[in-house]
Amino acid sequence: MAQVLSLNGVGLTLAGNAGPVEILRDISLTVTEGETVGLVGPSGSGKSSLLMLMGGLERASSGQVLALGQDLSGMDEDGLARFRRGNMGVVFQSFHLIPTMTAHENVALPLELAGVADAFGRAAVELAAVGLGARMDHYPSQLSGGEQQRVALARAVVPRPAILLADEPTGNLDGVNGTAIMDLMFGLRDRHGATLIMVTHAPELAARCSRVVRLADGRIVGEGQLSEVGA
Amino acid sequence: MIGLAARIAARELRGGLAGFRVFLACLALGVAAIAGVGMVRAAIDAGLRDQGAVLLGGDAQMGFTYRFADEAERAYMAGIAERVSEIVDFRSMVVVGDGENEDRALTQVKAVDDAYPLVGAVVLEAGTLAEALAGADGLPGAVMDKVLVDRLGLAVGDRFRLGVQEFRLGAVLLREPDSATGGFALGPRTIVRTSGLARSGLLEPGTLFETAYRLDLPDGADLAARETAAEAQFRDAGMRWSDSRRAAPGVERFVDRIGAFLILVGLAGLAVGGVGVASAVRAYLEGKVATIATLKVLGATGGVVFAVYLMQIGALAVLGVGLGLILGTGAPMLAAPLIEARLPFPAEIALYPQPLAEAAFYGLTTAFLFTLWPLARSQQVRAAALYRGAAGGWPGLGALAAIAGLAVVLIAGAVWFSGTMTLALGTAGGVIGALGVLAVTAVALRALARRLTRGLRGRVAWRLAFGAIGGPASEAVSVILSLGLGLSVLAAVGQIDANLRSAIDRDLPARAPSFFFVDIQPDQIEGFLARVNGDPSVSRSENAPMLRGVITLINGQPAREVGGEHWVLTGDRGVTYSAVPPTNATVTAGAWWPEGYDGLPQISFAAEEAEEIGLQLGDRLTVNVLGRDIEAEITSFRQVDFSTAGMGFVLSMNPTALQGAPHTYISTVYATPDAEAALLRDVSRAYPNITAIRVRDAVDRVTEALGAIAQATAWAASATLLTGFVVLIGAAAAGTRARVYEAALLKVLGASRGRILLSFALRSALMGAAAGSVAVLAGAVAGWAVMVWVMEADYAFEPMSALAIVLGGIMATLLAGLAFAWGPLAARPAQVLRAQE
Repeated sequence: MAQVLSLNGVGLTLAGNAGPVEILRDISLTVTEGETVGLVGPSGSGKSSLLMLMGGLERASSGQVLALGQDLSGMDEDGLARFRRGNMGVVFQSFHLIPTMTAHENVALPLELAGVADAFGRAAVELAAVGLGARMDHYPSQLSGGEQQRVALARAVVPRPAILLADEPTGNLDGVNGTAIMDLMFGLRDRHGATLIMVTHAPELAARCSRVVRLADGRIVGEGQLSEVGA
Repeated sequence: MIGLAARIAARELRGGLAGFRVFLACLALGVAAIAGVGMVRAAIDAGLRDQGAVLLGGDAQMGFTYRFADEAERAYMAGIAERVSEIVDFRSMVVVGDGENEDRALTQVKAVDDAYPLVGAVVLEAGTLAEALAGADGLPGAVMDKVLVDRLGLAVGDRFRLGVQEFRLGAVLLREPDSATGGFALGPRTIVRTSGLARSGLLEPGTLFETAYRLDLPDGADLAARETAAEAQFRDAGMRWSDSRRAAPGVERFVDRIGAFLILVGLAGLAVGGVGVASAVRAYLEGKVATIATLKVLGATGGVVFAVYLMQIGALAVLGVGLGLILGTGAPMLAAPLIEARLPFPAEIALYPQPLAEAAFYGLTTAFLFTLWPLARSQQVRAAALYRGAAGGWPGLGALAAIAGLAVVLIAGAVWFSGTMTLALGTAGGVIGALGVLAVTAVALRALARRLTRGLRGRVAWRLAFGAIGGPASEAVSVILSLGLGLSVLAAVGQIDANLRSAIDRDLPARAPSFFFVDIQPDQIEGFLARVNGDPSVSRSENAPMLRGVITLINGQPAREVGGEHWVLTGDRGVTYSAVPPTNATVTAGAWWPEGYDGLPQISFAAEEAEEIGLQLGDRLTVNVLGRDIEAEITSFRQVDFSTAGMGFVLSMNPTALQGAPHTYISTVYATPDAEAALLRDVSRAYPNITAIRVRDAVDRVTEALGAIAQATAWAASATLLTGFVVLIGAAAAGTRARVYEAALLKVLGASRGRILLSFALRSALMGAAAGSVAVLAGAVAGWAVMVWVMEADYAFEPMSALAIVLGGIMATLLAGLAFAWGPLAARPAQVLRAQE
């Protein structure tokens, strides 16, 4: 299988009030096409930062991040934005829907940015697929948390990205809604065939991943099946 | 990209305009002030243009000083005009009553013929002008301005005297159609028939009077060609041509100048609004960080993000400017009857595109100038902001260049529209300088507050106040910038106004004479001087023969071609003669003619004016005096001080050059105030033709005129302050959520509402005092610059005006701050703190 993501000796240091803070140290990791990878570890271990590095939302202080064969560290902000358009979908714990846009407009937006002609038609299909065909003209504030996350999920997968990044997608949802979102996300991934990398604290979610990477104090401390690295 | 950005911008704007109230109010107020002033100016310009013939009293006018038209001139006028009307204009004394009940006042007399007015109509309280001037009981009739009628306690039918001629008041004058073309008058108007003055003794040879011949020209007459023809024949004889194309150039110039000045004051108001606009946009974009970051996560480039928000701000700017234009147009239109009634010249209030375009240009340019910075910073927001918050940063070089370019465009526009580079650049420099000083002050105050906070343990209210000023999310910068700039404009107006008033009101009369007596005939001068110099209360008197002359040629060349439009060359000037140099003048170059000199005419010229015109010793001037050309050589320059209101002539000649011409004397008399009334009574009884101008009254008239200008300026400046107050309210409103949280925490920790309120009041007062103090400094610098460089007068710091500004600043911030304090004080801590979780 082809490599979709490759991190070689990656470090991330950010400026803090009390001086530089080393968030990630010497991370080397390879993700192949079709894999589902769960990033686990205690709070502050660097899981979300690693996910952001993979998505080009954060810039590595050292090392190299290759996504779909392209070196993300060599791209500027706009280059990264253009790269994400067709290649990556991101789902956040806090949904991050644009409050002034309806569900339909939120989902169509990445297609519009990519210049896709039938953006709204495809967005409608995707919303129907997540069960929100009847709520398309609702604004985020008119939707429940679970519904908002479904919209976010539809928005992430609508451009058919090769890589789907999810940062604790069920973290803000109750058990019932969390399970529903999980089922939906894995279902969409299976249907679209994307590579899924997910940060999670939920063992049952991590258990559904083909590989789990454990982080602690900014380093990878374990890798393998959940039973091997622990939840 | 544009289409997509427009779609996203439109979706964003569906959220409503709640966050843009301050933005819209600031822009609308600034644009409205500029549009309003521009509209009134355009209305007056249109009024002057359309009513040109009425204002002038005819299609064209040939004017002379000191004399009537001669036969040749009359024949010329009769040849080109269908009708001619002769007007004589001069100052005189109205005397009513006799003996102890005698009263007198200065008046500007207009003596007219039967044809007056050729155009327009004189408005009287009752009856017609012809009836009123016809007279009764063997006396010629007269009409008199209501102000003067009331001042002298006259009623229609009463008698009064001008010189030795008695008149009967036929009607009260409300409005003369041609009043705006008469220039600055020291006394209210009296209109009589010229024939009625025949025995008054007021139009003797040498008396100071002006004649104007109003011409009713055939339809379609080429005014420019007529002007050229008339000037070619009669200009060197002192004839002045004016016509309905520019009937009242003085008024036009004055209105243009004051209009340009008020618009620049309005522009300063717009700059204040710009601070509010920038704050509003910054706050809006700060609230949009998550959206911008999300857009970037989804693949939007910085360019798309910039375009999205530029379009939103652009749409809002258009809305704000539109509101301002509606307000700026609507207010003068609603107040049209009031404005038209109060202005001494015609104004046609209507919709004028040019001032609206000017206001829109200023509004849009200012809006973009002040929003480009926060907009460009929004472009820098990274996708990671969803996790780590937005980091501040400088806009890119392109944006900085665009900001500088917009500033240049705005200033160039101000120079272009105002037509006065010095004033526009001075205003721009003043605003930029004041903004710079205010920004430094705000930063320094914040640093000082942070430092002081540490030393104020135990004084909770003070520590909280300083903490709020020095801490993050402080309102200090926007409050001090907006209020400070508004107060700076007001402080500058206050300093200039107070200085002008004190210069005129206090300094001048201390050195100035009590009276100018004019039109003293040569055979009266001896008796006049005997009365004046024999009075122990008179400390000093100066007198000199006075004629009027026009400098027509300099070394054989037309004077205006050589010296340009210098004021000495643009009309007739007072000319005197003297055997010896006057005591108040010093010869700075050349030599005064010897005593008893009777050779070719010689001139002593005022040194400063000669330098401005470029005259040299030995130059030959041709001066037209009463239609006769006198060619004389400049043999000396002398220093003349015009500022003391004493006697000062630009031109003085040797006696034999002028003695033969009919002339009168002018005298300045310095007397103690308690002796003025008796002196005036005795002189006017003995010599009814002599006109006395009381300097105190003249000063009052000038002060009155300046007061009106200061009032207009204060109105424009108050629009600036109102904008500043809106910004202040906006800043206070924006900080409410933080204050609610702060108050809730303090209550939990045991602070009483009184202590919390005290802390809120202290921080407001401190910021207001800082803004007011800088405003006083900026106002003093602006006041000094205007007084010293523009008015060429002394400047003295006016503490009362300054104190009012500082107190005003404190009051404004207190009001705005405390208006938004009730919410935080009333909020229940549990509710607030739960909502924060």
